[in-house]
Amino acid sequence: MKPFSLLSRRTILKGLGISISLPWLEAMGPVATWANAIPSQNIAPNRMAFLYVPNGKNMADWTPKSEGSDFEITPILQPLAKVKDKLLVLSGLTADKARAHGDGGGDHARALSAFLTGAQPRKTDGTNIRSGISVDQVAASRIGDKVRLPSLEIGCEQGSMAGNCDSGYSCVYSSTMSWRSSTQPLPKEVNPKLVFERLFATGPDAGKAKREARNKSILDYVRDDSKNIANQLGKSDIRKLDEYFTAIRDIELRIKRSEKLPAIKVPDIQPPTGIPAVFEEHIKLMCDLIVLAFQADITRVVTFVLANEGSNKPYPFIKVSEGHHDLSHHGNDQAKKEKIKQINLFHVSQLAYLLEKLKATKEGEGNLLNHSMIAYGSGNSDGNAHNHDDLPILLAGGGCGTLSSGRHLRFSKETPLNNLWLSMLNRMDINIDRLGDSTGALASLK
Amino acid sequence: MFTNNLYKFILIIFIFLIHSPISYAENKGPVFSSVGLSFLQKNCLSCHSGAKPKGELSLDGYKDSASLIKNRKVWDNVVKNIISGEMPPKSKPRPTVKESENFIALVHSIFDFNDRNAKPNPGNVTVRRLNRVEYKNTVRDLIGIDFDPTDNFPSDDIGHGFDNIGDVLTLSPVLMERYLSAAETIMSRAIVPEPAPVIKRHLSSRYTEPSLSDQAAAKVIEGKFRRMESDSKENNLSGPLHTSYMWESDGEYVFRAKVYANSVDSNPVRLAVLISDKNLSSKSLDSELELLAGNFPKNSLILKTFEIKADKPANAEVIEVKIPAMKVRDKILIAVYKTMPGKTGNKAFVEYMALDGPLDSRPTSHRELLLADPRKSLLLQTREIISRFLFKAYRRPPNPDEIQRSIVLVDTAMKKGEKWESAMQFAMQAVLCSPKFLFKLEMDGKPNSTDVKKLDDFQLASRLSYFIWSSMPDQILFDLASKKQLVANLDKQVVRMLQDPKSSALVQNFALQWLQIKRLDLVSPDIKLFPSFDLKLRSAMRTETELFFSSIIKEDRSILDLIDSDYTFLNETLAKHYGIADTKGNMIGKKLTQTGGLPIRGDEFLRVSLSDKSRGGLLTQASILTATSNPTRTSPVKRGRWVLEQILGSPPPPPPPDVPELSADDKSVAQGSLRQRMEQHRKNPSCANCHAKMDPIGFALENFNAIGAFRTKDGNFDIDASGEFSDGTTFKGPADLKNIVNLKKDDFTRCLAEKMLIYALGRGLEYYDRPVIEKIVKHVSDNDYKFSSLVSAIVQSNAFQKSLKVEN
Repeated sequence: MKPFSLLSRRTILKGLGISISLPWLEAMGPVATWANAIPSQNIAPNRMAFLYVPNGKNMADWTPKSEGSDFEITPILQPLAKVKDKLLVLSGLTADKARAHGDGGGDHARALSAFLTGAQPRKTDGTNIRSGISVDQVAASRIGDKVRLPSLEIGCEQGSMAGNCDSGYSCVYSSTMSWRSSTQPLPKEVNPKLVFERLFATGPDAGKAKREARNKSILDYVRDDSKNIANQLGKSDIRKLDEYFTAIRDIELRIKRSEKLPAIKVPDIQPPTGIPAVFEEHIKLMCDLIVLAFQADITRVVTFVLANEGSNKPYPFIKVSEGHHDLSHHGNDQAKKEKIKQINLFHVSQLAYLLEKLKATKEGEGNLLNHSMIAYGSGNSDGNAHNHDDLPILLAGGGCGTLSSGRHLRFSKETPLNNLWLSMLNRMDINIDRLGDSTGALASLK
Repeated sequence: MFTNNLYKFILIIFIFLIHSPISYAENKGPVFSSVGLSFLQKNCLSCHSGAKPKGELSLDGYKDSASLIKNRKVWDNVVKNIISGEMPPKSKPRPTVKESENFIALVHSIFDFNDRNAKPNPGNVTVRRLNRVEYKNTVRDLIGIDFDPTDNFPSDDIGHGFDNIGDVLTLSPVLMERYLSAAETIMSRAIVPEPAPVIKRHLSSRYTEPSLSDQAAAKVIEGKFRRMESDSKENNLSGPLHTSYMWESDGEYVFRAKVYANSVDSNPVRLAVLISDKNLSSKSLDSELELLAGNFPKNSLILKTFEIKADKPANAEVIEVKIPAMKVRDKILIAVYKTMPGKTGNKAFVEYMALDGPLDSRPTSHRELLLADPRKSLLLQTREIISRFLFKAYRRPPNPDEIQRSIVLVDTAMKKGEKWESAMQFAMQAVLCSPKFLFKLEMDGKPNSTDVKKLDDFQLASRLSYFIWSSMPDQILFDLASKKQLVANLDKQVVRMLQDPKSSALVQNFALQWLQIKRLDLVSPDIKLFPSFDLKLRSAMRTETELFFSSIIKEDRSILDLIDSDYTFLNETLAKHYGIADTKGNMIGKKLTQTGGLPIRGDEFLRVSLSDKSRGGLLTQASILTATSNPTRTSPVKRGRWVLEQILGSPPPPPPPDVPELSADDKSVAQGSLRQRMEQHRKNPSCANCHAKMDPIGFALENFNAIGAFRTKDGNFDIDASGEFSDGTTFKGPADLKNIVNLKKDDFTRCLAEKMLIYALGRGLEYYDRPVIEKIVKHVSDNDYKFSSLVSAIVQSNAFQKSLKVEN
């Protein structure tokens, strides 16, 4: 797949009948509230996004041989050549908690649910689900009050529809990256239409004020009405009810915040109408929405699961008719490895689309890519071996000047992946000492 | 299945271990101390003991059976690790297979003895919120509107194979937002505080049927009126005048026409207003209709007749008929009666036909939700309505505080100037956001007590209705619960509920998840290899399984028919796919063996009897065969595993890591048939054991390709669907496989009972559920394996009717 030129991308979007495209974004001008503030306070906020792809990579075609700023663009990284100077290729990081540690099979389930948490997912098909709080949710809980949506969780594949997904692990584990707490996985939104409505709080316009007033009294009512039920319920019930009350509190806070924040301009475009039938369009539309969300400063934290871990989706549109997961057990068969490479390449092309779009979106003196940290990778390294060390990880963007990008870094064996997440949190002014199995921030990112 | 999962495996080991050295203490069960202790000492304690045991697992405190039972979870893991060969580690000296098996058998016999003699434990169900399907159905039954308000909801996660498991159903802020907006949408459809004005339709008689050319009009139009003659042979003149309308079936209407008439004698001219439709539920007799002039108005009902006194345009009168709600209706006609016998010449004149309605534009749900005794004061009506609504929404009688709080909401809204209807709408909207509606709460006065408690009648009614209908209880269940007669009538209610159309939820939600058919939506067979696979075929596959399972429920057949049956349901697409020609199951292109079959044409599904044993039963349905295949080829392993997991309830352990898979490309086909390549693969000892169980089952189904069509060749290789199980049973093809599975009917019944109990309870099963399952299996086998007996046995079980919130 050749990298997209701006023109062809626009043409594609037009062909879809979707009018989200670059020129429109520029025409809108900066919509972030901070950008309209007093010039001396024009400091762009830092953002973070985490993009996940399943089943590992064809590592031989992923990892550059040389390190430092002279690293060569490997076959799979090819689509990113144009933004090479914005990349940190990070080799050697390990998701130790994705390993079995006595729990046997289930590497796919663990790979995704340990990816951002650095916590050992509890092996269960349903009873007492548990992982750990994920890095995005730590960020959301610390800086979420500055924006409309503390975080946004999106994906392109629904939670799996049948059975336990991986060797005795509930499907929650292989379809959820974001964990609000160790016991509460956050489902992802896969419908671009609903993501759009959530970002811009659109929906039926008539009687909006009345609706909000009503919702406020409804929230008061339900809290009042159910304050006594907790003492008539068992422990595990109370945990579930807590989710309910937390959700209510969240919504109230959001209503309060949005009263204080200046109104957002709902972009003057035709909103997405549903889930595009073509996978590539689906991913690109989600990327467009990430750019919008960052540009309008609606949220600063996004998680995006391109496909569920262990996904057996075929990619017939790039001539791969076998399922991705089946292929990833390539048994060193060259033909299969080549197909895996094609899938990897396809995914990386989508990342390239996002990065180029962020880069082309001006913000203050710079652009959105300068003001973001986009992490991309998988919790499996080689899908055939199911190993969780030396993971394929990229960190793109400038992080508001906190990253010296354009390098390939190799970390010593067994360096926890969570050290990277911790380092990213620091760059959002969230200074905590530990996250999951982290042992300290990575020193060499700047 | 069971959390500690390995019983089935162990059962097999037991059979081999009839001479096992397990010793029994009198009435206290198997003894751990001698054999067990020495195994531990020899193989485990060198690492797992002392102040710093490896893996923080210390095993030196375990001296007798009681100590094991106290730490069951630890021992489940110990056993798992020994069975998987993970422990003792490869680097250490390992026990012989025999020694390990003896040890595992001993540990299990200890737990088994304990379970059989333990105090019954019904377990605890973590509170379940309504999942998407339940929410949708509950709204349908509570509010009476039929649309899907859950379209925007995030999908529900799955645990233990089902999407109704309390522990897994989380409630995120996004979902809560969706609940708020769904409640608003639902209530704005259900109650319409500002009903739209009544629609008025006015049609000048010039433009009613029979239609008039300008020339004809010149003859019959007099001023604003159209002349009708009682005795004319011309339809234009004789009438009846008529016109078609669009009707709301549940609406009342008023019809009006402005008329006058001239009589040839002193008798007044009579007019009739009729309504017509060929499906009208009641029609006037021909003898009555024959009295009318002009074209005979067949399929009509005379609504009212009028004697017209007005005799000139200036004093023309308006005739009026109220038309009640009717399921079907089309035209309204105005007919003049024939003049009295022996006379001719009566005339009637019509200016217009007018129809107003529906008179009440409020939806049915509005009228039903706000129905109250109109003689009461508004406050009392409010109380009546709110109490009734809370009862249904919370699925139990509301307490006075709850009623009062809702009334306060109504009050407050009205004080802010809202109409009563709007205030009521708001109060109901709030109820739909309450955790008491969104969760199936089983509240309990003493949640911290360690006693086993029976659910109250309303909690039981909800468990029952959400199990069988995926929806709230109906009035009959509520009434029985109110009278505390539900428990006494459970079996009768189960039968009634299974026969109710709402039990289709059991097919859609239980059966399709149990059989993992929802995976069918995700498979994408290679279009080059399988050009006949399209959305139509995919949907037909699914429908076959749905109709088949539904027939087992509705005809209360034996659950063993699920394994093998002599009928199925096919439409043209699927019949062609199966090569079946007609409803007698004759094969396309083969000699007719059964006479009297109807051809299978079009999209409609017909019941088809099967004479050929290669089809019939779930195992040979394309839905399942396709869902367990890879995009480019069949997967005997997946099919075998599916049968072991979903049908026989003995799932094989997951594969060891780093196993090369089979290649599907042309090169490797050259190395042998798929089957030959798999047999190669099984030579690897780390794979052999489990594959010896899975693969033969898959081989028996090799006559079905990756989309379930029958075949005798795979590429250039002949299909060999024969084989041998590890116990020496041999088979050839699907018919033999079905017979073998049928011989294991108790395994199948146990497996289905376990799956259904998980679904019914909304929780995973635990070791203490074993006696419950065995009781269910026995009940089902004592009752000819009837489907209803399975549902009844589940509903009658302790696990279903009781709860133990806190274990001591």
